[in-house]
Amino acid sequence: MSASSQALVASEPGPDIYDENTKQNEDAPANAVSAAPKRKEPPPESSESIRQRGYVILSFWAIILIIGLPIWWKTTAIYRARLPLDQMMDWADGRACRPVFPLRISIEVDSLQDHEAQHLLRTTQHALDDLNDFSAHHLRLELSPSNASTAATGLSTGGVENEELALVIRLLPGITTKADLQSYAPILDIYYTPNQIPSSSSSSSSLGNYIANTLRGMFAEEQAMIAYLLSTSSAPPERSPKALAPEVAESLAKWTTRSMKYSRTYHLTFSLFTPTATPSSWDIEAALEEHMKPLLESFSSISNFTIDTQVQLYATPGVSGDILKKEDLSGFINAAEWPLSPSIGGAPTINFIVYVGDMEVEGGGKSWLIPQWGGVVIQSDISDLRPAMLIFSNQLISLLGAPESGSLPLRLMTLVRVRSAGLLLKASGTMGSLARLTLALPSISIPRSVAEGVYTTIEHLRKACDGLGGQEGLENARIAEEAAEKAFFEKSMVGQVYFPDEHKLAVYMPLLGPVGVPLVMTVLKEARAWRKRRRGGR
Amino acid sequence: MRQFHSLLLFLSLFTLSVATSDYHEQLLLTPLHPSLLLASFNFQSNTTVNSFEQQNFRNFPRSLGQILQHANTRELHLRFSLGRWDAESWGARPWGGAREGGTGVELWAWVEAETDEEADGRWLTLTNALSGLFCASLNFIDSTRTTRPVMSFQPSGDHKNSSWDNLHLLHGTLPREVVCTENLTPFLKLLPCKGKAGISSLLDGHKLFDASWQSMSIDVRPVCSAGSNDCQLQITQTIDMVLDIQRSKRPRDNPIPRPVPNEELRCDASKPYHSEDTCFPLDTAAQEEGWTLSQIFGHPLKGACPLATDGIDPVCINVPHARQVFASEGSHEHLDPNGFMRCFQLDPEKELEMILPQQEITEKAPLEQPLLYAERSFIGYGQERGGVQAILTNPSPTKAVDFVYMESLPWFMKLYLHTLKAKINGLDTHKDVIQEMYYRPALDRKRGTQLEVRILIPANSTVVLTYDFEKAILRYTEYPPDANRGFDVAPAVITIGNVSIRTTSLLLPLPTPDFSMPYNVIILTSTVMALSFGFVFNLLVRRFVAVDEADQWDVRAVRLKIAALIKAKLKRFRNAEKAEKRE
Repeated sequence: MSASSQALVASEPGPDIYDENTKQNEDAPANAVSAAPKRKEPPPESSESIRQRGYVILSFWAIILIIGLPIWWKTTAIYRARLPLDQMMDWADGRACRPVFPLRISIEVDSLQDHEAQHLLRTTQHALDDLNDFSAHHLRLELSPSNASTAATGLSTGGVENEELALVIRLLPGITTKADLQSYAPILDIYYTPNQIPSSSSSSSSLGNYIANTLRGMFAEEQAMIAYLLSTSSAPPERSPKALAPEVAESLAKWTTRSMKYSRTYHLTFSLFTPTATPSSWDIEAALEEHMKPLLESFSSISNFTIDTQVQLYATPGVSGDILKKEDLSGFINAAEWPLSPSIGGAPTINFIVYVGDMEVEGGGKSWLIPQWGGVVIQSDISDLRPAMLIFSNQLISLLGAPESGSLPLRLMTLVRVRSAGLLLKASGTMGSLARLTLALPSISIPRSVAEGVYTTIEHLRKACDGLGGQEGLENARIAEEAAEKAFFEKSMVGQVYFPDEHKLAVYMPLLGPVGVPLVMTVLKEARAWRKRRRGGR
Repeated sequence: MRQFHSLLLFLSLFTLSVATSDYHEQLLLTPLHPSLLLASFNFQSNTTVNSFEQQNFRNFPRSLGQILQHANTRELHLRFSLGRWDAESWGARPWGGAREGGTGVELWAWVEAETDEEADGRWLTLTNALSGLFCASLNFIDSTRTTRPVMSFQPSGDHKNSSWDNLHLLHGTLPREVVCTENLTPFLKLLPCKGKAGISSLLDGHKLFDASWQSMSIDVRPVCSAGSNDCQLQITQTIDMVLDIQRSKRPRDNPIPRPVPNEELRCDASKPYHSEDTCFPLDTAAQEEGWTLSQIFGHPLKGACPLATDGIDPVCINVPHARQVFASEGSHEHLDPNGFMRCFQLDPEKELEMILPQQEITEKAPLEQPLLYAERSFIGYGQERGGVQAILTNPSPTKAVDFVYMESLPWFMKLYLHTLKAKINGLDTHKDVIQEMYYRPALDRKRGTQLEVRILIPANSTVVLTYDFEKAILRYTEYPPDANRGFDVAPAVITIGNVSIRTTSLLLPLPTPDFSMPYNVIILTSTVMALSFGFVFNLLVRRFVAVDEADQWDVRAVRLKIAALIKAKLKRFRNAEKAEKRE
């Protein structure tokens, strides 16, 4: 190392050179001659220059810490709107809302004295409460306020009070005990024999028990549905009732996979597919008018429907053969060639297909339902569309998720309650997922729209929870569910997740490496020199 | 070819008057010289507006009908085109150019809306939905590619006067889109007979997209019969293609062209140098190529579509009567007595095969002269500026032609309007040529330039329209993949009455950066900053001493130190091993 051409060399202030030289002499072989000439020591530094150097280093660091760091922090920060995480988790865990469906059932008893009626009511309620083991679904009986007048007007008032009452029971004297559910109104006629009128002394009555059992049987399916929904959600276990019977649970699982997602509007497409060029037209307008429209009107309080129809010639199904096996049914719809593209509006499409042909499903039957999609009917003669329309009506009802038993008005009301419960639980679950997502991924941004969506959801969930069971509850639950989904699937949230750390390294290293290393090294050296000086001073 | 045009005219009149017939289709074959064949497929179906609004679809495709209703579109024109029509040797375009679009995809529609913003929203819905239906990138027609033509397009349907004020014409092009089989499949699905029967059974992606030029069109328009109130919605789908007969005749499983065997070469033996190994090809201009339907389209026609019940012959061919045409059994030939046309009526059950043998014939069906020849190209050089030159020729010796020339240029091609010049036959007589002009300047990243010029060309003259432009520099993320290929500029649309023709599209090279630029910039600036920082910092914090007073940085000492360290470690390791062995 010859440095004769250089007059000056920057020297590190501090490290003890003498120490190193002696060490080197120790490590060197014994016969080696040390070639290093004895060096001159630089003159001792003035305390003035040491202090000055300290100030320089300090000011560099001050600029970095006071200006650089905040700017860096500010410019690379990810906007995370504040979310009410506790509330969201409360909803998800079912702490915020106890879904309760109080069903008001009115009893009309014209033939009994007032106190007799009161007594009957009490005993029946007792019997009901004894039977019921599921607190969320509660049947509450009450006496019809104007016993005489409602009986006279009958059906019409039943319609008006639909909003409030789940069912009206009319007690009528008869020869035998029997229950008769009216098909087009939520009215249950119960005939009783005179000897069944409870005496005021007895604590139970056979009529009361009979009514209670009948009611229980009628609402068993709805109860099971709600219980199933609660048990599949993350609600606390003590809320859900005793475990459902396996076969009931299985049929309910089928019911959930079968039914469409709830929407305010559905689009129905009726298609005629034929493998040849004939028939090229069908009398669908009249058939729809006669068999479909009345059903759709009765659904109008829950969902609206738009309809279109089409005729497609030269359509070959995805499977061939005269007998269709069960496993072939899913491949029957030739998705690649049949123009069954979903509608472009927001409404989900339900497809109903009439296929002209002689095929038969294995084991008989010419129609089947495709879960969450629609139904197929195979028919060789399309001059009479009535059977196909009746099958489609049934398929539509079960695709919408209505229960299988009961009269139509009761099924619709059950549908409202079950749908609101489902939406409520789904929206709550989404809130929980969003809260967990925000906690699990600290690097994602949370735009303001997500926070707004969360607040909208919670507000409507609250309203839905308060008015559960009615139209309003359903509407609120729907809005809540929509807002929750929108907040959860906000696109701009995931933009940062796919920005790998290697890229950050590539951006920061070229600047921070060459600048940072001298800064840190000087501080270390200065600190070492300072410590040595202090030790030397002592 | 006059007859050809009159037939088209007759057909269009016919469809207007016989609107009660729901569906009709026709294929017109016209041999073009040399050894090319123009095949024009036309499919038309109607539905009453009433059943359209109730969404009961029969022959009208439901998928398209739903989109039109959802986007409040009253009239729709969609074009997919590929290749260049050689007007010099092929004559006038089929349908006079009315069923043709520029290279790529072109879409224009009349959308009903109260305000411009609403119209834009519905246009967006329309393009997105059509994009899904036709598997084309129509959703890329954004505001920069959308124009609202003022003079160029006229609605071809009958619109109610009441709704006329609320109709907005929007026009978009995608010159870069490559039209291919995935666009044909949805097109065929819209037809009532699919590709299973009738003339549509001849359509095959392999043949269609092998054509020298092809154009697919879909037009939806309302048609009202005069005087009565019932309106119909008419959908017309056409496919026109120019096929190379020799190319089509190549076997499908072995499509590589091979040299003709020696014995099959047709040589001019009168040439003095004609011998065993030299051959001058014989002039085959008078020779008509022999072909059959199944050679050209891959398979014969699979019977008539049973829905077409209006009695129009589904297959016609435009050749002189002296030309031999043999059709298979079950079809009936109808000769047009005073023209070159002959049509065939088909049996719905039987396949149609048509054979035209090789024949020497002097008579040819005459080519119709186009109204205007148009070509457009770039002029100028360099990365910064350029120019465009459009050469427009009126071939008619007697009639002047009046038309609207419309350019919709991308925003990064900044037009200098003051450089717009029209020379007629090489002379600057600017005034008479350009009659009227509509110009809407571009806004960066928001909309493109729209230029519409009404031009009058006197008989037998050529107008050269030139203008200059500047190339903008795009942002890093605005370059498409493969930016060095260049940027496609949409064809100019020339509207003559209700007929429109298009120039070819242009490929504009823009200054393209190196795409590793951002990291290079980061590293370069960082290096400069680090250097200057290091210089200043060292100057401030280092102490300067004489050489002999400085620290010695002895490499040998360091080496010895490291060696000693390793030695010590090894020794310790060995000792440990020995200890283990002992145990």
